Amino acid sequence: MRHALVFLIVLAVLLPFFWMAYAAFLPPEIVYSGDLRSGFGFTLENLKKLAPEGFWPRLFFSLWVSGAVALAQVLTALLAAYALWNGVRLWAVFLFTLAIPAELLLVPLFGVLHQLRLLDTPWALLLPFFASPFTVLLVYQAMRSLPYALVEAARIDGAGEGRILFSVVAPLVFPNLVAAGVLAFAAHWNLVLFPRVAVGERYWTLQVWIADLARRYPADWGLLSAAALFSTLPLLLLYLLFERKIVETFEGSVKG
Amino acid sequence: MRGTRLRRLEHGLFALPALGFLGVFFFYPFLEVLRFSTWRWSGLKAPEPVGLRSYAELFADPLFWQSVKATFLFTLWVLPSFLLLSILIALLIEGQPYERFVKGALFLPGLVTVGAASTAWYTLLAPDYGALAAFLPIPAWDQEPFWAMAMVVAFTLWRYLGYGVLVVSAHLKAIPPELVEAARVDGARPFEVTRYVVLPLLRPAVLFLLVVGSVLALQSYVAVFLLTRGGPYGATRVLGYFVYELGFENFRLGYAAAATAVLLVLTLLVALAQGKLLEER
Repeated sequence: MRHALVFLIVLAVLLPFFWMAYAAFLPPEIVYSGDLRSGFGFTLENLKKLAPEGFWPRLFFSLWVSGAVALAQVLTALLAAYALWNGVRLWAVFLFTLAIPAELLLVPLFGVLHQLRLLDTPWALLLPFFASPFTVLLVYQAMRSLPYALVEAARIDGAGEGRILFSVVAPLVFPNLVAAGVLAFAAHWNLVLFPRVAVGERYWTLQVWIADLARRYPADWGLLSAAALFSTLPLLLLYLLFERKIVETFEGSVKG
Repeated sequence: MRGTRLRRLEHGLFALPALGFLGVFFFYPFLEVLRFSTWRWSGLKAPEPVGLRSYAELFADPLFWQSVKATFLFTLWVLPSFLLLSILIALLIEGQPYERFVKGALFLPGLVTVGAASTAWYTLLAPDYGALAAFLPIPAWDQEPFWAMAMVVAFTLWRYLGYGVLVVSAHLKAIPPELVEAARVDGARPFEVTRYVVLPLLRPAVLFLLVVGSVLALQSYVAVFLLTRGGPYGATRVLGYFVYELGFENFRLGYAAAATAVLLVLTLLVALAQGKLLEER
């Protein structure tokens, strides 16, 4: 009974993924018949249709923007976490930003970007995300589990603070940095509303583009699923590679 | 202690990049929203000051009150089901050989792209074109307010359930096994052990999820944007989406800023109440 229930829940949760992978290769005849029972088939046609819609350049654009954001966010978080660990009293500041979801600031952020003349430039997708309190929290939690004596020993050996951080502390928390980076990447990759308002169609990220595609072709499951599948793959691969570390890092942040 | 003060300063400098970016793109907008809310501004032409008129208009706006109601309803649906399911699943998988696998699988939806996920949901479950509609009775969630809300709630739960399970599970692991053992020795049946020993000890987890969940309920309007666009008849137009629509579909940014300010006050009140709640644990 228990196993069956768990199995059903997992199945229900994963169903959209299975469906995405299945429908992405479904021949259009079956799609247009509107009935899945009318047959099986395998085709790459949906994939080919992605190119004229401009899918691939979007994918690479999104990869580099989200990648740059993840890198910058981990770097600023590493520095800030080190400051916190050394007793700089800023924890309250980060906690406060953590309590206010960034989504709520959409309108004023738009106004500020307007003042800074950053609207409709790639910078609008980058700069606002270069620091995240959540990433700081994750890295800080990882650092706190290290013995502080490490830092003191390195200081006695005459190493400067920058050197201590980058050659002693950073390698030790590296797995957590990777996990935090993946989460940062995922969070940025998933933004829909912000890129939609902050930049024009030229700089739309993949997610915005897919949401738009779904409005234009609501009945073309094949095309939509192919787009969805290939926009999910980068994240899926990252997640499968680092799954254990990500779940652990998350658990660490929960316990603290 | 030579150079301690200097080092202090250096550590402060380490925090600067993060503080700088948060300052410009978080704290500054956070304060600017008040100034913006006194403008009439479409984003295209120069803003025109209107004082506090936007607030007066907002509190007289039936759409605003409708979306307050929708947010309230959404929270009322999401929170209890989020808590119950998280606890239920965490209890079900505790100690099973597939525990890790299930946690990994449940966490997945939270990470994958919202756009892709909602596309998969939409093509599966749309009442008219959906793949399941051909052989399952799919309620018309594009027309019936009740089912539209159910859909948004289900999508939100689907995305965050893995997180809830992780939280409960981490707390389950912290329960000393001797306690459970002692209850068993005293003749408690498995159900009784869960009810009278385990559940009361999960109180901190429940409180924590309550906090996370209520912030979630106030902010999660992406699902609304992707699935229902606030419809039908505004039934799923939660406050976050109401603000988005005002600002970027009706181009009334000043008015939207006033609504944002009200929403921020609400969020801060909730956060404050939560702080109190968490201190008790």
